[in-house]
Amino acid sequence: MSTGEVAIRIRSVGHQFGEAGEARHVRALADTSLDIVRGELLCLIGPSGCGKSTLLNVIGGLLAPTSGTVEVAGKPVHGPMPHDIAYIFQENALLPWNTVDENVRLGMLFQGVPKAEHAARAQRSLEAVGLAEFADHYPAQLSGGMRQRAALARALSLQTGILLMDEPFGALDEQTRMILGEDLSVLLARTEKTIVFVTHSLGEAAFLADRVAVFSARPGTVKKIIRIDEPHPRNPAFVTSEKFTTLRNELYALLHDEIRKAVGSEAPRGRRGANGGAP
Amino acid sequence: MARRREAMERLASRAVQIGFLLALLASWYAATNFWGVNHLLLPNPVAVFHQLVDVLKTGQFLPDLRVTATEFAAAFVLAMTSGMLVGCFVSRSRYWVAVFEPLFAGIYSIPIILLLPLYVLFFGLGPASKIALGTTISFFPVVLSTIAGFGHVDRTLVTAARSMGASDYQLFRYVLVPAALPVILTGLRIGFTVALLAILGSETIASLAGLGHHIVQLAESMEMARMFAYIAFVVAITVLLNGLVSHLEARGRRHE
Amino acid sequence: MTSIQSSGVATTARPREGGNPALDSRLRGNERMKAARAFLLRHPGIVRLGAVIVILLAWEIAARVFMDPLFISPPSRVFASLGAVLHTEGVPNALRLTFFELAVGFAIAVAIGLPLGLALGLQPFGRRSFMPIVLLVYGMPKVTFLPLFILFFGIGPASKIAFGVAHGIFPIIVTVVAGVQGLKPILLVSARSMGASRWHILRWVIFPHMIPSFFAGMRLGLSGVLLGVLLAELYVSTAGIGYFTTMFTENFQPAKLFGLIAMLAAMAIVLNEIVRRAEHRFSRWR
Repeated sequence: MSTGEVAIRIRSVGHQFGEAGEARHVRALADTSLDIVRGELLCLIGPSGCGKSTLLNVIGGLLAPTSGTVEVAGKPVHGPMPHDIAYIFQENALLPWNTVDENVRLGMLFQGVPKAEHAARAQRSLEAVGLAEFADHYPAQLSGGMRQRAALARALSLQTGILLMDEPFGALDEQTRMILGEDLSVLLARTEKTIVFVTHSLGEAAFLADRVAVFSARPGTVKKIIRIDEPHPRNPAFVTSEKFTTLRNELYALLHDEIRKAVGSEAPRGRRGANGGAP
Repeated sequence: MARRREAMERLASRAVQIGFLLALLASWYAATNFWGVNHLLLPNPVAVFHQLVDVLKTGQFLPDLRVTATEFAAAFVLAMTSGMLVGCFVSRSRYWVAVFEPLFAGIYSIPIILLLPLYVLFFGLGPASKIALGTTISFFPVVLSTIAGFGHVDRTLVTAARSMGASDYQLFRYVLVPAALPVILTGLRIGFTVALLAILGSETIASLAGLGHHIVQLAESMEMARMFAYIAFVVAITVLLNGLVSHLEARGRRHE
Repeated sequence: MTSIQSSGVATTARPREGGNPALDSRLRGNERMKAARAFLLRHPGIVRLGAVIVILLAWEIAARVFMDPLFISPPSRVFASLGAVLHTEGVPNALRLTFFELAVGFAIAVAIGLPLGLALGLQPFGRRSFMPIVLLVYGMPKVTFLPLFILFFGIGPASKIAFGVAHGIFPIIVTVVAGVQGLKPILLVSARSMGASRWHILRWVIFPHMIPSFFAGMRLGLSGVLLGVLLAELYVSTAGIGYFTTMFTENFQPAKLFGLIAMLAAMAIVLNEIVRRAEHRFSRWR
């Protein structure tokens, strides 16, 4: 990653759900500004409810922020930009009544890719994620990890410059996550995509990201940005290196206070502070 | 804001409901009073109301209600006990479930009302044929739900209870029954509804007494207003009973 | 014991050869029993068939030995009477007419129920307003209205079709409405993020999502129509099926009565099976 041009420009974005004074009123995101550079993988990490997913939805145009602006490739975001941005969700968002191949093709149909290109592009993206043999399977016939691979294939086939991933491996078990993370790193080394990746796994963030944006507790904003200079594809051995451990510990220290704050604000009053020390 | 909007919408849909029912009633009234619809086809709502008051005041419905209620109670109790017993027995082994469940489900998908002529031939026009039909019809939802209820008890719960040393009886009483109960309750509610339908239906088609029979008699003597009053009476009772049973079912599965 | 010892090595290779012949055959019988048991355990369908045959046999014996032939017929005689039933003047016509009523009633119930269910399902305000009314009418015992239907529509097919529709349409509406509700919002969001148009979403997300509940609704609707039409047919004793069931009952012809009812049951089974297969075929992805 070089200090290239800015792909996503976030300027004082804030968001609240509901109106002030209402029971359901929540200030999810407070005045956040951030530049995301072309070709980098930026991880958003923070305590649950800190607004990292909200920010992702704002970037993707799925949510209009209460304040601030987002620019993608120099254009202000006012709604989904299917030609610039592809999405991968935490939940399985494949259409259950279509096969994997049909799901990939439907994505291209929605985006407006000419029919003639569908077959080749679907084939290529399914091969890239290692699912070519399962093209004719229905999502229900696949494991959770394979379903997320299929979702990744669908996003890749759209050939967007930006990939937004909202805790894509959140529902998977630890081992599947690890393998998918390694494969993703290999895949990304080959493409020039800008990726914003929301996670709450410290290891995942440290392993995948070029930069990690650590969020504060709600209303969330970027507390600190940590740079990770390690070329992609990252070697599995990176996980056991001292550099990785140091990074992970640094992230842990940054996050810990915020998580305490987030949990403490939910816990009964008497308990707060009583176990505020280190575990 | 949002909450006020919600409350407004709820109010609006209530208004639509009441408006719809009022419009129905008004057009009924207008049809019989001003548009010249034959009273032999559609009686005047005011006349129906007077008849209803009369039916309730004189208590003329009591003998028929007693017949219908007795038939229904007999049928439902028979179906409930036999259905739950057979269901318990069959669900003791996965194998018997595999043998009998499709059989019961298959028979249940045939309109069992077809048995009515056979039961009339065999048991006569009296209450016995009604009870037989009601029992047959409501047996199936009860037995199927009992099998389903016991079949879907979480194995972990059973293992956990066993590990704590539960006896067969304790396992049944404290784990299997409470776990299966919600599904069984649904079966009982459905059984209740279809038994009621079967009793009223068989009384309508071939019988000597009962509320269904009385409605047919009124239809044959063309006493339309009184017939409508009786229909309203029966519908009100069944809707109330069904509501009560749904409420009991919901209470029984509160923890879900 | 001694025989095994005396036969030496050969017996250990084929231990059941020679020796005590009675014990031997019993062992072999045991083995065959075990194999049969294993076979039956793997095929509960055969035991199910066996159970049906046992019931029919019991019925046959009971009907022949213990019961009055004026009231009940053994299955063999019912089967033999099927031809006679079909040759009774008017029965084929009544059956055909019933089938016609079922088909038309089902078509009308689906034609009205599906769009109504779809409209209510997709329109939250309409749903909140009208679903309580639909559920109320669905829960009413419509059989109490049966004499009214006959008075309004006569004793011909119209009343039976109307009564069938009255029974079939509500389960269709309720099922379709419930089906529309079940769509996972993430699928809509995801389609929108890929640039899907309103038409795309309707065609590729909402519509395929609806298919299973369409069919489930149709299956329930068919049971409703069957119930309604048959109730009305049995009620009207001056024409159609009801006339013949009444006649066979009054003339004490149980074999013919059983036969006629078996034919109607077969009709119901065939219709159910058609809808069930169609449903299965369109829900492969589940």
